[in-house]
Amino acid sequence: MKTLRPVDIAVGCFLALLGLFILYASSMIRVGVARALSPRTIPSAIGFLILFCGIGLAVKSWRFRGEDPKINWPDREGIRIILVSLIILAFYIVLINPLGLPLGTFLYVTFSIWYLKRSKWVTAIVIGLIFGIVSYYVFIRLLGLSFPEGFLFEG
Amino acid sequence: MGFSWDFLFHGFATAFSLQNLLWALVGCFIGTLVGVLPGIGPASGIAILLPMTTVLPPTSAIIMMAAIYYGAMYGGSTTAIVVNIPGEASSVPTCIDGYEMAKQGRAGPALAISAISSFFAGTLGLVGLTFFAPLLANFAVVFGPPEYFALMFMALTLIISLSGRALLKGVISMALGLMTSLIGQDPLTGATRLTFGSPKLLAGIDFISVIVGLFAISEVMINVEQRITTISQKIGNWMPTWADIKQCLGTMLRCTGVGFFLGLLPGVTPSVTTFVAYDLEKRVSKHPERFGHGAIEGVAAPEGANNATSTAGFVPLFSFGLPTAPSMAVLLGGLMMYGLQPGPMLFKQNPEFVWAVIASMYIGNVMLLVLNLPLVGMWAKICVIPFYILGPLIVFFSVLGTYSIRFLAFDVWMMLIFGVIGYFMRKLGFPVAPMVLATVIAQMMETSLGQSLLISQGSPLIFFTRPISAVFMALAILSIGRGIWIQVRSKAPEVAIDEPD
Repeated sequence: MKTLRPVDIAVGCFLALLGLFILYASSMIRVGVARALSPRTIPSAIGFLILFCGIGLAVKSWRFRGEDPKINWPDREGIRIILVSLIILAFYIVLINPLGLPLGTFLYVTFSIWYLKRSKWVTAIVIGLIFGIVSYYVFIRLLGLSFPEGFLFEG
Repeated sequence: MGFSWDFLFHGFATAFSLQNLLWALVGCFIGTLVGVLPGIGPASGIAILLPMTTVLPPTSAIIMMAAIYYGAMYGGSTTAIVVNIPGEASSVPTCIDGYEMAKQGRAGPALAISAISSFFAGTLGLVGLTFFAPLLANFAVVFGPPEYFALMFMALTLIISLSGRALLKGVISMALGLMTSLIGQDPLTGATRLTFGSPKLLAGIDFISVIVGLFAISEVMINVEQRITTISQKIGNWMPTWADIKQCLGTMLRCTGVGFFLGLLPGVTPSVTTFVAYDLEKRVSKHPERFGHGAIEGVAAPEGANNATSTAGFVPLFSFGLPTAPSMAVLLGGLMMYGLQPGPMLFKQNPEFVWAVIASMYIGNVMLLVLNLPLVGMWAKICVIPFYILGPLIVFFSVLGTYSIRFLAFDVWMMLIFGVIGYFMRKLGFPVAPMVLATVIAQMMETSLGQSLLISQGSPLIFFTRPISAVFMALAILSIGRGIWIQVRSKAPEVAIDEPD
């Protein structure tokens, strides 16, 4: 699917299904005392809106006969870089609580910079260290925000 | 509760004392820093510093806290322009053209015009606050739930112009935003909706996670995929040209009007007025096609409206003790901590305090302009930092910002998910601004709708029988009609306005 038309048809169908799903989920909302605006009303309206817009998008794209714009998808290397960057970010999120913000930040910044610019290990470690320290002294100590400190700074 | 020159002059005399000048300067500096740091909004900035101000006299303390508030409004545009991170919902429209300008090597002029427009609108807003506070506050009182709903509804219809040719995709984006904000508990009944039994979804999805994901994370993904070396290869002039400033004069006037008058209404936050101002500017422009591609008016309009709204928020706060935004609620707490009861009696019982704070805001605005303009070059240089360093730092600040909302990793996961959604939306030509606007105002809109229907005993005619709401509804219907007309006539495929033509 390198051009917009087939993708729009697929996205339209997906949205129509999503709309149906929201309608079903809305019907499961428990309604207590009768009110002017039931908790089901707006979710159902949104479900209908997504359903009709999805169908509309699919039909409009299916009927479209002009020049089909190309989608600027990344090349294979681009996909790899995005996926690895997202995995490093996911690890960062997972590690914030057990390792603490300063250490987690140090590891994240260091690995990300190293991955994006392979030959810069020293730069990566120095910048990682700076941001790990800044995250501790500025955000935890100075501003008193309740970020996890991690085993290095606790006690 | 009327205006008096004597009170104003006394106010200036108090505000010009060395101590108050110093605290105003400290407040402006901290406020700018709070605005620049993503995730730490003015509300949390003031709340964090509130206990520390107990050592100060009440007037100095409130002068400092007010300075933090409007200082944050100045600083909020910086990250929006240079790295596409809107730290607040109100900075989202600034990203649209500001970041485009940064990519074209015009981050300096964008930042400078943002400071100038903020100063211009903030100062004009202060004139309004000084002379018309009692009169305008009375106008705000006639706004009931139907008027609020109609106003929000009109704001939602703005997606028609924000979506360009991609009307259907704009509506879908808005619907997805509304759906996102419905997750959690019903604001009126407490019934759980679309949580699918997950306790983590009970508290809903915070809009900051949505905004940061859609803008910052998706932007990083796109830059990483294209192996971008820097956001901009060059830094052009740091200052805008006279032509730029002249081009924005009308914009600044219009956005001040929009921001100030809408800002008088409780619940109408800068996140709404900045969108309204941006849309208005695009409509009145002779070249609306430049919007979304680095139009300098597209930066001046939301930034001016932002500051005008922030200033206007002091009118209901001082006159009625009514906070119009979370930061105003924290300021109200600060006033009460010092034994000051905002409301009609505040002007009578503590005129020296009120007028000193108002006078200090004039001085603060000048301080902010003087502080911000020389720093423009420094902020603009962020654009030439190599992206292999800047990218991880953007993500670091995004994680900080979203984690600090409720200190839950769940919010950061949401940011990541919306980052991926935003990436695909950009690739497939779905505009992201309607989704953001819908996420931000959905709950206010639903609450006003519920209250309105309660008043009218279920009749939707209430929106058409009250004059102010009828005007808003008529404008909204006209806007929808215009959008449908454009859509029917258009034979082009659905492509968002922020896509290259």
